[in-house]
Amino acid sequence: MAPQTPAVVMDNGTGYTKLGFAGNDSPSFVFPTAIATKGPAGGAGGTGSGRPAVASKPNFLTGAGSGGGGNLSAKRGTEDLDFFIGDEALAAAAGPGYGLHYPIRHGQIENWDQMERFWSNSIFKYLRVEPEDHYFLLTEPPLNPPENRENTAEIMFESFNCAGLYIAVQAVLALAASWTSSKVQDRSLTGTVIDSGEGVTHVIPVAEGYVIGSSIKSIPIAGRDITYFVQSLLRDRGEPDSSLKTAERIKEEFCYVCPDIVKEFARFDREPDDRFKKYEVQQPGGRSVVLDVGYERFLAPEIFFNPEIYSSDFLTPLPTIVDTVIQTSPIDVRRGLYKNIVLSGGSTLYKDFGRRLQRDIRHLVDARIKASEARAGNAAKSGGLDVQVITHRRQRHGPWFGGSLLGQTPEFRSYCHTKAEYEEIGPSIVRRFALLGGPGST
Amino acid sequence: MPAYHSVFLDEPNQQVIGNFALLPLRTRTRGPAQQLPPLSDVTELDIEPSHPSYDPLDEILSLFRANTFFRNFEIKGPADRVLIYGILFVSEALSKIRPGTNRRDAEKAVMNTALDTNFAIPGDAAFPLNQAFEPPRDRNEAEVLRQYIMQVRQELAARLLNRVYMDGTGAPSKWWLSFQKRKFMGKQL
Repeated sequence: MAPQTPAVVMDNGTGYTKLGFAGNDSPSFVFPTAIATKGPAGGAGGTGSGRPAVASKPNFLTGAGSGGGGNLSAKRGTEDLDFFIGDEALAAAAGPGYGLHYPIRHGQIENWDQMERFWSNSIFKYLRVEPEDHYFLLTEPPLNPPENRENTAEIMFESFNCAGLYIAVQAVLALAASWTSSKVQDRSLTGTVIDSGEGVTHVIPVAEGYVIGSSIKSIPIAGRDITYFVQSLLRDRGEPDSSLKTAERIKEEFCYVCPDIVKEFARFDREPDDRFKKYEVQQPGGRSVVLDVGYERFLAPEIFFNPEIYSSDFLTPLPTIVDTVIQTSPIDVRRGLYKNIVLSGGSTLYKDFGRRLQRDIRHLVDARIKASEARAGNAAKSGGLDVQVITHRRQRHGPWFGGSLLGQTPEFRSYCHTKAEYEEIGPSIVRRFALLGGPGST
Repeated sequence: MPAYHSVFLDEPNQQVIGNFALLPLRTRTRGPAQQLPPLSDVTELDIEPSHPSYDPLDEILSLFRANTFFRNFEIKGPADRVLIYGILFVSEALSKIRPGTNRRDAEKAVMNTALDTNFAIPGDAAFPLNQAFEPPRDRNEAEVLRQYIMQVRQELAARLLNRVYMDGTGAPSKWWLSFQKRKFMGKQL
């Protein structure tokens, strides 16, 4: 292996999988983390047992291919090869005969059998690489149990025979991705990561590359809720099309974060031509209808800052959560956590999201400093606290890009565990990894 | 950031009946309210809270759309109660307008509601927010309060109609009508 092959970076998220090579600007493939196998879907949520089909259930769907059903487990071997992943899986599941599964739930791998097949297709059909020749950088959510790492290593080394493996925490990679921003002067791995995808939003404090697990908080408001909220506003107004797909497109194309909703309403009154937009939808029948887009433009992302307008049981605004997370972290890292609040994930891409977040957190911090100064009776003056939210261009695929950045460094390979080491020590070797991109590395 | 409160909370020398503030209004209808000078230099849309003629009704119309999204509202003083009553009345008036109604019919329906003398004031059994509103002390006060609220209702109805029929097409604005079903604090008049 004289010329080094680039490391393969795979970021498997609950919603989407990002695949590509280290050193690249963006992932080569982005597709849903879904797999379609022969047989019925494992319930609506796809939590099925993982085996292709359950023989005890009468099954009308599989009848077409396998001659009237029967015990499918007896036919394993060919069934195993009959599956699709990603967008092809969605297409296959729309027709008869295939069931759709999501092997990752809440960020963690739930179904290893399906995940193995998902990876094998990712490597051989999409990336088209020989795993023997490449090092792999995989990601995991914070608080992933070490057993899951061992399972991952077992599959990567024994099934795929890959040359080397590194498993990184997504939040740490997201911090590394923010180094591309001009606002970041020192490449430290201390900061608060706000990771908002489709399902949940996490606020994760990271100190010198290590996740402070006890202070992580998650918020049940994320991309999907914004879509639902847009949909409900469209329905209130009786727009001609209020499907989820339309709501999603409107969310992605028109939404932004405003400084103050009352002022924004007034602005819509004063400059209607400028603010109200039109959106044309092609309906399945070939007809096209035109929708008006209005207040949802700024109201939809507002649910991060005022959850009360959308949900009746979760009422804490995102800035307050971030503040609480940092306040419950060890006192000696708080300054660093406030100074480096990094955004990651598709639901943080709204215009001015970072600016509003920074302003609101700063208000909270300033109010607390003022109160404590008043209590001290002017005996102690605070030097102030720097709150900075980093918005950067790699937010959408933050963890993947961070992986690409670190995977291309010359010393990356020395941080990995190799196939030889794995064979000598066994799966427990992946319980520990040296800190990639930490002090002294670059 | 919770729901928006009234800027008149700290207004000095408020006249209060029960715990409802009788703030000055910019109106020509007759009643107990102190009159503010009519607008000359700005329009109803552009008026800022710092303007001397800014009245609680301007505030109600500007906060209505934001506040109807909130189910919880902490009442901080008598001026907030004016705000609550106003927002609930705007909801009620909006519900009289159908998507196709022209301005004349809408005016008739809304003004009928506004002019109806048979409405509940704080302390009446039919008033929906009696936990938060104190009843007036005697008959006299009740009569003044009723007349003041009457003024609020009429002026608010007129200004709301201006807003809803602002674009000059003769049809009500669908942006305003989309708030018909929302209930501020889960209540209605």
